[in-house]
Amino acid sequence: MLTTAPHLRTRRPSPTTVEYTVSTSPTLTLPLRLLLITTIIFRVLIGWSVLLILYSKYLLSNLAAATSTHNVQPETIVSIDYLYYILHLLHTSKPGQFATTLAALTPPTLLIPLSLVLLHILLQRPHTTETLLVLRGLGIQTSSSSASYLSSATTRFIPTEKVQDILVNEAFRGFEVRYYLVVVVEGEDDVVVVFPRLLPRRKVVESVWRGVRGCLWEEGRVGGLSAKGG
Amino acid sequence: MPYNIAMVSDFFFPQPGGVESHIYQLSSKLIDRGHKVIIITHAYEDRTGIRYLTNGLKVYHVPFFVMYRASTFPTVFSFFPIFRNIAIREEIQIVHGHGSMSPFCHEAILHGRTMGLRTVFTDHSLFGFADAGSILTNKLLKFTMSDVDHVICVSHTCKENTVLRASLDPLMVSVIPNAVVAENFRPLYHPSYPSDFSTTSLPQHLGPHDTITIVVISRLFYNKGTDLLVAALPRILANNANVRFIIAGSGPKAIDLEQMLERNVLHDRVELLGPVRHEEVRDVMVRGHIYLHPSLTEAFGTVIVEAASCGLYVVCTQVGGIPEVLPGHMTVFAKPEEDDLVAATGRAIAELRANKVRTGDFHDQVKKMYSWTDVAKRTERVYDGISGALSEADFYGYEAADAASWSATRGRAGVQSFALIDRLKRYYGCGIWAGKLFCLCAVIDYIIFLLLELWAPRDAIDIARNWPKKVKQENLTADDSSFRR
Repeated sequence: MLTTAPHLRTRRPSPTTVEYTVSTSPTLTLPLRLLLITTIIFRVLIGWSVLLILYSKYLLSNLAAATSTHNVQPETIVSIDYLYYILHLLHTSKPGQFATTLAALTPPTLLIPLSLVLLHILLQRPHTTETLLVLRGLGIQTSSSSASYLSSATTRFIPTEKVQDILVNEAFRGFEVRYYLVVVVEGEDDVVVVFPRLLPRRKVVESVWRGVRGCLWEEGRVGGLSAKGG
Repeated sequence: MPYNIAMVSDFFFPQPGGVESHIYQLSSKLIDRGHKVIIITHAYEDRTGIRYLTNGLKVYHVPFFVMYRASTFPTVFSFFPIFRNIAIREEIQIVHGHGSMSPFCHEAILHGRTMGLRTVFTDHSLFGFADAGSILTNKLLKFTMSDVDHVICVSHTCKENTVLRASLDPLMVSVIPNAVVAENFRPLYHPSYPSDFSTTSLPQHLGPHDTITIVVISRLFYNKGTDLLVAALPRILANNANVRFIIAGSGPKAIDLEQMLERNVLHDRVELLGPVRHEEVRDVMVRGHIYLHPSLTEAFGTVIVEAASCGLYVVCTQVGGIPEVLPGHMTVFAKPEEDDLVAATGRAIAELRANKVRTGDFHDQVKKMYSWTDVAKRTERVYDGISGALSEADFYGYEAADAASWSATRGRAGVQSFALIDRLKRYYGCGIWAGKLFCLCAVIDYIIFLLLELWAPRDAIDIARNWPKKVKQENLTADDSSFRR
């Protein structure tokens, strides 16, 4: 419900600029927004509880024998002692005690991998968004959103004079054959694949290919080439 | 009616060979006739992915593990997902497998039938019945051939062999020979190719003391009769003065040949060229007058047609499909034994010296007999027959009235039914144990097919664009404007 099949959105702020966005995110309506916010709240809550259980386990182990004396409120708020005080409050609170009993019950060999996997899942972004920005006279910029919240999107800019060609190709991928859009960059052995994670379907790839050629180079050339290719 | 055809074989270019060039020539001629043809083969070292050859012939080099002599490892089901994907995206209607030693071809026929496609198999080779390897291959062949729509063999001998090996109904086996591109094998002097006249000298008739050159071009393997050649060669040279040999090719028997030359000190009369590329074969052939073909087994023997096309008199062993290939006045036949081969070669030399043979006419005759366009036409007729475009009586050549009596599993109008129960009936007849095993394989294949329909649904697979056909000028401009819009 939160994701859809990859679809194309085109933005054309000026005649010489086009942005193609392929995304799994649906158009955000109010209920969908609310749902997204609820899932984020849930993610945060579950994340914190996992961390709390891990902290309790740490306190239970003999590694933490010396650090359990921060039970007095320090004067200044901005200090490491104040952080320890909050942790102490959390630890002694009701959910903290529950976390301690839970941590005491599960062996560390099970608890640590399990919580790491859970944290990893919680940090995954729900949507994948990949964009291709074309600026006539400047070049093209590809960007691909990262899988988790911890890293940012990978972006690559290719100046027009480095772009040798843009083409649609087919290749084996797993047990299927896919169409994909590539940019051939001068002086590089490997081509740059546009929309590498989503690999949208042929219709999308072809319309983006037409549009990029039309925007990056003059319109006349596109007509001639597509007549040959199509 | 144009068909979408997938040629499946392990053997394809860049590897050279007879099956490879057969697939290529047949495919390009079928494309000329308006069909859409793709080729599915495995990946070669520097040939991977999806490629286009001349005329929009699309080749899928599927990344698969190669086991032995360019054959992939026979896994019964692993090829299915990717084959299904390709068949759907290219909208394939007919699967045409080549070569009984190719696991790809057998798998494709099995999966093709499971997917409800028409299948054709072309056999290019002859096999024995006695040794363990042949028995296994024959059983495998029987498995895939139990449920195939039609089989094509390259010669009548090959047909006989295949019918026996796979227990086929002879009516569903057609004979369509190989062909040669006659333009690539033209004699040294021929009026149709004036550009070849580099010198003014026309072919002279051979006098009794002129040197006669005998050419042998073959891979030096046991089945190509290299041992026979090694035994006969010194005797031929001893019996006939003014005779020279040119031998081209490589293989494990090359060492025997060299030892024989050393022993008899024949280096001045025998020239060993080593391996030659296919496009150089003609240049080697036109240096000689007689082509000697000592093969022990041969399904068709394209090379002797090529030799005759180059204007060489052919001496060959009377084995396999060879006697069907050329008319009697172009060949001298020998039994596959030393004495007879020596005698036959002697006869050929004598006839040439007496100017009894008009080798100059061979090229035009061969050109009339063999053409790939004709092969493509005949193959197309097979496609028409299996897809029901031709009536049963037309295709199989018998009265439709007694159609029901000769095959219970055959569905309407001579077309193999796709119903799973009918397919299982056909597989079950393969043998006591084998029949049950084959049924099991067919059932598993069907289950995999159903799972694939769920896992990779049809509508999630993009339909591939076809190679643009040549269109008339007014259509092209109309298309052009629609693109500009």
